[in-house]
Formats: sequence, C-alpha cells, structure tokens
Amino acid sequence: MLKILKQVGDYAKTSWQSAKYIGQGLSVTFDHLRRRPVTIQYPYEKLIPSERYRGRIHFEFDKCISCEVCVRVCPINLPVVDWEFEQVGKKKQKKLKHYSIDFGVCIFCGNCVEYCPTNCISMTEDYELASFDRHQLNYDNIAMGRVPYKVTQDPMVTPLRELAYLPEGVTDPHDLPAGSQRAGRHPQDILEELQDQQDQEDQENNQKQQASKN
Amino acid sequence: MNSGIDLQASFIESLKTFGVPGGAAKALWIPFPMFLMIIGATVGVLVTVWLERKIAAAVQQRVGPEYAGPLGVLQPVTDGIKLVFKEDITPAKSDTLLFTLGPILVVVPVFLSYLIVPFGQNLIITDLGMGIFVWIALSSITPIGLLMAGYASNNKYSLIGGLRAAAQSISYEIPLALSVLAVVMMSNSLSTIDIVEQQAGYGILGWNVWRQPVGFLIFWLAALAECERLPFDLPEAEEELVAGYQTEYSGMKFALFYLSSYVNLVLSALLFAVLYLGGWEFPIPLSQMADWFGVSPNNPWLQVLTASLGITMTLLKAYFLVFIAILLRWTVPRVRIDQLLDLGWKFLLPVSLVNLLLTAGLKLAFPFAFGG
Repeated sequence: MLKILKQVGDYAKTSWQSAKYIGQGLSVTFDHLRRRPVTIQYPYEKLIPSERYRGRIHFEFDKCISCEVCVRVCPINLPVVDWEFEQVGKKKQKKLKHYSIDFGVCIFCGNCVEYCPTNCISMTEDYELASFDRHQLNYDNIAMGRVPYKVTQDPMVTPLRELAYLPEGVTDPHDLPAGSQRAGRHPQDILEELQDQQDQEDQENNQKQQASKN
Repeated sequence: MNSGIDLQASFIESLKTFGVPGGAAKALWIPFPMFLMIIGATVGVLVTVWLERKIAAAVQQRVGPEYAGPLGVLQPVTDGIKLVFKEDITPAKSDTLLFTLGPILVVVPVFLSYLIVPFGQNLIITDLGMGIFVWIALSSITPIGLLMAGYASNNKYSLIGGLRAAAQSISYEIPLALSVLAVVMMSNSLSTIDIVEQQAGYGILGWNVWRQPVGFLIFWLAALAECERLPFDLPEAEEELVAGYQTEYSGMKFALFYLSSYVNLVLSALLFAVLYLGGWEFPIPLSQMADWFGVSPNNPWLQVLTASLGITMTLLKAYFLVFIAILLRWTVPRVRIDQLLDLGWKFLLPVSLVNLLLTAGLKLAFPFAFGG
C-alpha cells in the first residue's frame, strides 16, 4: 500500500516539476519578447569589417614582378599569372600580361598576401561577391584593381560596429552614444606604452654604460 | 435576461414587410453569416500567421516581416497569393484521386466547425443542440484526410507523417472529449450558447477556468496535439520527416493544409474561450453595469455596445490563447512519438477521467456551484 502511495507521490512530483520547467522556459521566452532585435538589417545597415578582415583580394598590376610565389603558396594553385619574356636592352625580363583569381574557388586564406615579395596583393573588406553566374567571379587584374567602397562613407548605409568593437557590457550596436570607445586597450596605447618602456630601458642602459666608462 | 441583437429575426421581419414569405426570407438570410464566417476565419488565419512570424521574430530577437505593408501585415497575403499561383504538382506514381481528396477532407470539417462558434447571444450561424459534439465529431474526420494525403503521396515520409497524424489525433481526441464532457456536465447542455450562458452572471469569477482547473489544462494540451502545434508537431517534424504528409504537396493543395492547420488553431482557441473563459462575456458582468448606471437593457446603443464588446472579448480571449500557443512553440522542444503516446494514454486519459468523475461528484455535492 505504502509502495503504491510512494509511486503516486513520485509521479505527481515529476509531473509538477516538468510543469514548473515549462513555466520557467515560458518566462524566458516571454522576457525575450521585450528585448531589442540584435539583427543587422542588411542592405540598410552593415557591419564595419575588422582591420584584418579577409575579403576579396586587391591586386596592383604595376607592382607585380610575375614571380608566381602566390601560385606556389596557394593551396590549390589558383592565381593565373600570364607573362612573357621581354627584351629590354641586353636584359631579358618578365612582362606581366594578365593576372586573375577565381573568387568562386578561392578560400580567402591569405597565403598569397602573406608571401607576395612586392606587396602587390592585399585583402580588402569587400564581401559582397554575389553574381548571377559563377564564371563572373573569375576576377581579372582590372576587376581586382578596384577598391571597395567603404561602409562608413556610404550615405545609404548605417555602419554598425562588430561585437568586439563595442564598449564593455554592450551587445547591441544600434544607437551607440557618440564617441564611445571599445572595451580593452587599443593597439596604439599598447604601442605607446611599449615605446615608453623601451625609452626607459635605453636610458638605463646609457646610464650604466656611462657609469662603466667612468 | 435580454437576448441582445438578433440580426436574423430583424432581417426576416423587414423582408416580411415587403411581402416575402417567412421561409424564403430565412433562405435569403442563410448565406450571409456563412459567407461572413468563411471570410472571418480566413482573415483570422492571416492575422495568426502574421502574429506567429512577428512573435517568433521577437522571441528570437529578430525583426520579422517588415516591408510588405505596415509592420509586414501583408506578408501572409503575399504568401497566399504566391501559393495560389504556384504550379500544382501531382507526383507521377501517386494516387491522384486520394491525393486531391486529402486536403479537401482536411479543410472542410475545420471550416464547418465554425458553425457552432458563438460571438454573442445571437451572433452564431446555428445554435445546434449538440453544438460542441459536432466539433468533436468533425475533428475526427481530419485525420482521415491526413492519412489519405500521406498514403496517396507514395512517399515514405508522407506515409509515416500520415500515420503519425492519425495515431496522434485518435489518442488525443479521447482526453479532449472527456474534458469537454466535464464542462458539458456542469452546463447541462452541449450547445455552445448554453455553455457560455451558464458561465455568465458573475463576471470573471463565474468562468469555467476556476471550476475546471485540471480540465482546461488537459483541453489545451489535447487541442495543441489536435492542431499539431509544436510540442506535438510530430506528423510534420521537419528534422525527421521532411514535412510529413505535406512533403509532396505544393501550390494550392499545400495552401489548403497550411490554411486548415491555422484555422484549426484559431478554432481551438475560440472554443477554449467559449468553454473555459466565458465566451463573449466581459470580465465584469455588463448587464449589472448597465443596472448601476440606470441604462435600460432594451436601449439600442447598449445592445450594439454589448454585441461589439462580445465579439471583441471572444477574439481577445482567442488570440491570447493563440499567443500562448506561439510562445509555447518557441519554448518547448518536440516530444518523441513514444513520449507523445505515453502522455496521451497514460497521463491525460486517466487524469481527464478522474476530472470527469470529480466534476460529477462535485455536481452532486454542490449543485449551486457546479450547475445542478
């Protein structure tokens, strides 16, 4: 008899608990109702890409020496470097005719940018590469020479900062007060501090040297 | 008690003055409320779809539909128009007749059930003597349509979805009917009008929620399962069954399924309001308020006010429940099929039986409070 009573009690308890948990869950979702949307309304609002954003690659035709390092470091040998030898006086030198990268295949790893000896390849913050045909993504040197339009300068777009660039405790990039700074120390501050330390060390070293001379 | 506005009677009376015989006048009247109800149900669905998308967005901290009309209210309309113009595909090796009959069999009973939804004393299409029973009977036709659709699609996901829909509907119909039966026992009538009348008189204190605290929970759970709303949306569980019995459907036939699921949700919410939340009654009894202010119950503007307030209250209560259902959708994960059947047969059924017996006992013990 007692055993049955205990079973009934346990059953009632678990039922009550599950009802309680559903209630707690409902209160959580209800609380979320009054919170502001955190989504970026894309064509009208855009995130400002971070400094090291690896977007579409920019290429400077005149700087390129056709060394093909970019092709060798590329995981799939993607860049197409079309050059030929050219006689300039006594010297025979490479002359670049065309350069192209297919951004439908590129994985934006940035190896070519890293290894280019003349820094003629660089990453831009352009990520809007949509096209009607995948062959349109095969950018030639003229297309890659274009510099993307900055989000912050576009009058049609409200630029919004990324999460890491928001002040401490803020998670919503909308309606930030003007002049608000991001959390943590800024690179220029760290550089300044390092410079100060360096100066101090130099001074101490100088003093030591002078002391030892004397 | 004054019965308020009776549009049908006044319409027939006014036609009779023009020399139209009474029967013909009644026949002329009949299409109006039917047409109004179909339009009303469809608009109700559009509102519900919009609410669902907006509330889902708010819960997930998104914006939701925004550009089709102010605040995106026209989004469901555009969705509907798209579905109407979409190509109507019938799979090559399907049973064409059953494939077409399925959605029709699902949608017709749901719309038919609106016959018995009252918005006021006389604001109802027909006050059937067995009102609420008609709804329960009609709602058991729906799983046949679903099973038909699932079977005729000639697709394993559709078949499993259809079978699940049938199993779920059958097992949740019983606790639903039992909890409704407890209410019926208290009001001594199956008519929806009588059920609301029985709750009237004491304002919010007279509503059945207080007398049926267990019954309304069971009813709501079972109704959610009948509507295949999220904690119980196994027949169309997209992670397992693609879209269940809807997998092979597109265009207008899919739209019928979609429509019927939302009409069913609104219908369940309306009937919940009727059964447990006093239907068209205001939280403070209106006739008493009129008494306090010394307004005669035959006053025409009072009658218009009562009627419009009745419609508003019914819709408000129903949409409050729709809101709960939507919030629940984004709160609770889907149950497994065995958990679903466990809950239905091993929990809801015995509890609703006990509830029914308890109500009967209380009715014998306290006839004044439990409708002797």
